[in-house]
Amino acid sequence: MRTSVKKLVTAVSTSVALMGAGHAAAEIQIGIAGPMTGPVAQYGDMQFSGARMAIEQINANGGVMGEELVAVEYDDVCDPKQAVTVANSLVNDGVRFVIGHLCSSSTQPASDIYEDEGILMVTPASTSPEITERGYELVFRTIGLDSMQGPVAANYIASQNPERVAIVHDKQQYGEGIATAVRDTLKDAGVEIAMFEGITAGDKDFSSLVTKLKQADVDYVYYGGYHPELGLILRQADSAGLDARFMGPEGVGNKDINTIAGEAAEGLLVTLPPAFDQKAENQALVEAFEEKGEDPSGPFVLTSYTAVQLVAEGIEAAGSTDPFDVAAALREGTFQTPIGTVEYDKSGDMKSFEFVVYEWHSDGSKTPVN
Amino acid sequence: MQDLLYFSQQLINGLTIGSTYALIAIGYTMVYGIIGMINFAHGEIYMIGAYTALIAITGLTALGLAWLPLILIVALLCAMIVSSSMGWAVERVAYRPVRGRHRLIPLISAIGMSIFLQNYVHLAQGSRNIGFPALIDGGFNFGSGDGFQMSLSYMQITIFITTLICMTALSLFISRSRTGRACRAVSQDLGMANLLGIDTNRIISATFVIGAALAAVAGLLLGMYYGSVDPLFGFIAGLKAFTAAVLGGIGSIPGAMLGGLILGVAESMTSGYLSGEYKDVISFSLLILILLFKPTGLLGKPEVEKI
Repeated sequence: MRTSVKKLVTAVSTSVALMGAGHAAAEIQIGIAGPMTGPVAQYGDMQFSGARMAIEQINANGGVMGEELVAVEYDDVCDPKQAVTVANSLVNDGVRFVIGHLCSSSTQPASDIYEDEGILMVTPASTSPEITERGYELVFRTIGLDSMQGPVAANYIASQNPERVAIVHDKQQYGEGIATAVRDTLKDAGVEIAMFEGITAGDKDFSSLVTKLKQADVDYVYYGGYHPELGLILRQADSAGLDARFMGPEGVGNKDINTIAGEAAEGLLVTLPPAFDQKAENQALVEAFEEKGEDPSGPFVLTSYTAVQLVAEGIEAAGSTDPFDVAAALREGTFQTPIGTVEYDKSGDMKSFEFVVYEWHSDGSKTPVN
Repeated sequence: MQDLLYFSQQLINGLTIGSTYALIAIGYTMVYGIIGMINFAHGEIYMIGAYTALIAITGLTALGLAWLPLILIVALLCAMIVSSSMGWAVERVAYRPVRGRHRLIPLISAIGMSIFLQNYVHLAQGSRNIGFPALIDGGFNFGSGDGFQMSLSYMQITIFITTLICMTALSLFISRSRTGRACRAVSQDLGMANLLGIDTNRIISATFVIGAALAAVAGLLLGMYYGSVDPLFGFIAGLKAFTAAVLGGIGSIPGAMLGGLILGVAESMTSGYLSGEYKDVISFSLLILILLFKPTGLLGKPEVEKI
């Protein structure tokens, strides 16, 4: 009891002290921007939990250049319009380092603002290639690209010698981008594409689509998009008796697809970043998450952790908190992180990042397929 | 034969979704027919109906109830009661105080109500998609073993039958009952009906309650058919149902039924023979065409136009 009172007093006095300090020196603000609410908030949870953990641990080890990192959190609902508002308020708040955003369609417009205003951005989740194609100096990511993920999925499908494959996407930047990458690789492999079609995100009725898939008599359906729609497609396909294997990108790989699709989620194939939480060298970190009652197994938890770590190490290496110096240091250095050795190319992409094919189960667990 | 089966399957898909559009469209059309305003919060009432049904089903299953018809009937009643009270309250709070003012005022009030209800459910239930248990499984299959098989699920049959019962009951209520007669009188001339001793406030409330109860039925059916609910679920469905009501002739109850079915079939045929991407393009083009050549909608009467 006494210790908890003491802790409380310390916490209150620290926060009062921090409030007093305002935006002055002795602290470095790290903005975390992602969906706290909205249909894909579960990915946001992964992002926030990973980034918060990194900030806590770095502060416990004496901070960065003797200064403390302070998290400033923003909710973009994974909505491009909201993301621009968030980016503007980050500028207003004087934040110079951002971990985010999550959805490619949010990251893209927000990164324009960050680049103009001299803010360094590291996205732990956006995989659209266009984000780093524009020659921006301050844009980095700790995840691979659709152009890497698509071929992994397509090569897997091609290796199963399917007769016909259908590709469906949600017409958004992420979904359509990855679906196109899958289609192109499959075409090169000589696989017959029976259908390439868009649906509307937020739609609930996929009975016509399912009927069409049945008519086309496909063996595999690749879906580019997020889990709310794929969950419903799986369920409606199951009840209509469609006999095809479904596959999706990491945007469908989370446990919420099980609450929507139920048993129909069994056997779904998903390309995900490798399970970083299974690596032996990350076990201490995994325990730290578990102590806090958080789950480190989500695909974006450790990429977010790494994003914060890279910003911190970049600042140390540059010996400055100027985002341009930090960006230069990130491009030059080699960093040991929970997601492996990170080296950046000129555009801000990692020189190597692998995706792995997993089989999803109806209890929310997954097993690697090889 | 294959093509015929495929066509029938798309027709069934379209009629299923169309009949639920019709159930929701009734709420728009009745309110418009009586007080000449568009109740934009109606889609949210439908969404709340679906959530209530889901909560009731979860609760009853947790209590260990296993007899399916009982679960469904209790869930349906809960949804209808909650939605109806919500419909009644919305009218009392947001529309009655501004009734008779400039026509834009109730419209803005309705949009405000819709945003309020959406965000209220956001806060109360979270923004994630919540899965709806599949209570009615299985169905009939037609067609030969290896070719295309047409399936008609028990769920789709349930939707048709329930819609049919609701529509028949509503038609009988409007044409035979005392309150129904009063409804028709109020829709023809509100002032005159008032002078003749009809309690018009009560009739208007009744309209909102009936519309909300039918929306709740649609909420339960569609929640089960699709398999998930989220707080934005009502917005899109409301938009579609409103389109159906305008298509059939806003203010006309048979029009709402016809409009719903036409819209549903048009959507599924477009996705089936063209591409899912053009679904909304075709259905809204259809709406524009009908409004160009028949501004009152398919079954609307010119004198419905008010204010």
